[in-house]
Amino acid sequence: MDYAIETDSLTKNYGGLIAVNNLNLKVQKNSIHGFLGPNGAGKTTTLKMLMGLLKPSKGSAKVLGREVHVDDANSRLKIGYMPELPKFPKHLKCIELLDIYGKMYNMTKQQRAEQIPKLINLVGLKGREKDYIGKYSKGMQQRIGIAQALLNNPELVILDEPSIGLDPVGMVEVRELIKEIAKDGRTVFLSSHLLFEVEQICDHVTIINKGSVLASDTVQTVSSMFIGPALIHLEIANLTNDVIFAVEKLPFVKKIYHEGIKLTVQVTSHDADVKVKVSKEITNAGGVIVGMSQKTSTLEDVFIQLIGGARTQ
Amino acid sequence: MKYDNEQQTQESSRGSVSWFRRFMAVVHYEMLWNIRKKKFIGVIAFAFLISSIGLVLPFILGDVIPQNAHFAITYGADSLSLFLFALVIAMNSMSSEFESGTIVPLLTKPVSRTTVFLGKLFAAFIVLLISFTVLFTYTTVGSIFVFGAQSDLGLLPVVLFGNIISAFIWVSMLLAMGTITKNTILTVIIAAGLFISLFMALPIVSVLSGPSTALNYFPGTGATGTLITADNSEFSVNAGTDSLGVNMVYALLYPGQNVNFFKTDIWSIQIGDQTLPAMELLYTESIGFIALRGLVIALAYIVVFLLIGWLAFKKTQINE
Repeated sequence: MDYAIETDSLTKNYGGLIAVNNLNLKVQKNSIHGFLGPNGAGKTTTLKMLMGLLKPSKGSAKVLGREVHVDDANSRLKIGYMPELPKFPKHLKCIELLDIYGKMYNMTKQQRAEQIPKLINLVGLKGREKDYIGKYSKGMQQRIGIAQALLNNPELVILDEPSIGLDPVGMVEVRELIKEIAKDGRTVFLSSHLLFEVEQICDHVTIINKGSVLASDTVQTVSSMFIGPALIHLEIANLTNDVIFAVEKLPFVKKIYHEGIKLTVQVTSHDADVKVKVSKEITNAGGVIVGMSQKTSTLEDVFIQLIGGARTQ
Repeated sequence: MKYDNEQQTQESSRGSVSWFRRFMAVVHYEMLWNIRKKKFIGVIAFAFLISSIGLVLPFILGDVIPQNAHFAITYGADSLSLFLFALVIAMNSMSSEFESGTIVPLLTKPVSRTTVFLGKLFAAFIVLLISFTVLFTYTTVGSIFVFGAQSDLGLLPVVLFGNIISAFIWVSMLLAMGTITKNTILTVIIAAGLFISLFMALPIVSVLSGPSTALNYFPGTGATGTLITADNSEFSVNAGTDSLGVNMVYALLYPGQNVNFFKTDIWSIQIGDQTLPAMELLYTESIGFIALRGLVIALAYIVVFLLIGWLAFKKTQINE
């Protein structure tokens, strides 16, 4: 498979402290991949190694098929990177900064003239682009961070905690923006410590703690990895023994509970068609379903289990 | 969002052209920073003030203003001005990138660290060149008004070149220190400490042990001697790197002339109740040799400091 990012035993030590430990990461092309972990898990250190800002103590990394080396300028031509809480020179105006960065990407004058206003508009800085960055709030600097990461029309966009420091409206806007970015066939790799953010935006996730990968797959697969049996809650107008017996016979049903018109079915399978099979069986047995819901596990459940498990080890 | 990617990819593949564009982008980035620094604007204003005082002082003091056809080319920048210009241009060029965290977005662009370092260096050179040119033009025009028509104005670029080289010793030293320490205050303390030490120590050493040639191997004024021209005019000459510009002019105006270096024995001569200093000729060097040696020493310092700074920048880990 073609990967946008691939690491092999990537390790970073600071003296006795292991910031990243034998990290084997694979990010598929054209995916939105979340890099989830608590503060201090090694997310930013990993991203800095991918960007050639830090030299790995051990292991290697490939980005867009190219081996990463510290100070390999050309390897960054197709990558857009937004650091965590980015800082930009206060003495420059936003429009000047983007123009200079555009030149660093070898963009022609015409390309810059087309691209920069578009990006300023996109990140909501229209009308403030001629102000000195020194006058910008943290949130506005964050928006420049996103704009400069998209400047070169990158194949891969790496965002380090993109919504940190933003107000709730800004956070929603940034999430929508990230989804928009990925629509053009780009790969987006974003680090976050916000579970709901990853769950909302990403299709793939890697969970990291203390520099090591705890889980990595699609969000759906990871979400269903460590949970116990799922529960289906039903409300049946005429809950008869025939209905209960019919449901009990289903092979994936572990246990059932009933009280009044309420029926709770504990199932061992997490397949999407479980609900369909249960409702079909109830209808065939003469039951009338008036309400149905299924408690599925969330990424948060998995995250808590994984991080909690790692902490007790 | 739809971008035109194809043209950009084609552009990117043109190595040398693209390197120059990226380099000039760094120069632009750095120059805007330099000229917008309040400290830089302050030093420019201070330098104009000092130059103006130099020009109007004879009027203020009511002195008879002598004809001086060589004022414009011999009124060189002093050690302090050279240091201050270098300081405001280069003291935070590297360190504040690390302190403020702006180094991260900069180094994640497709520019190598060598390009960034060279870009910052070139920007410092351009800013220094423009500043000195403006100041020299002002001083030259002013000296024509005060001292009458000026001779050998064609040698002004030589003085300009010499002063830039002299100041560049400190620029390169500051760039190296800023890269190693990643801290502006520490960089300024080290550089200012070194400057003040040399500025104070060298003249004291010179008085106590004589104007040894060893003094010329440190950045600063160096040994002080007397240049005697063919028409028996005498000029005081500092042989150190700070006077490179003026010494090159003297070397061109008075080729082959010697500079005598005397040791002053301040305790030796007793006349009546007074003890007068005695002068002992220690050695003689030609003005051409002094200028050339100053140039070589200055360039050696610049190369060594820049190499240290460049290597430190190449090796540094960006933890900011």
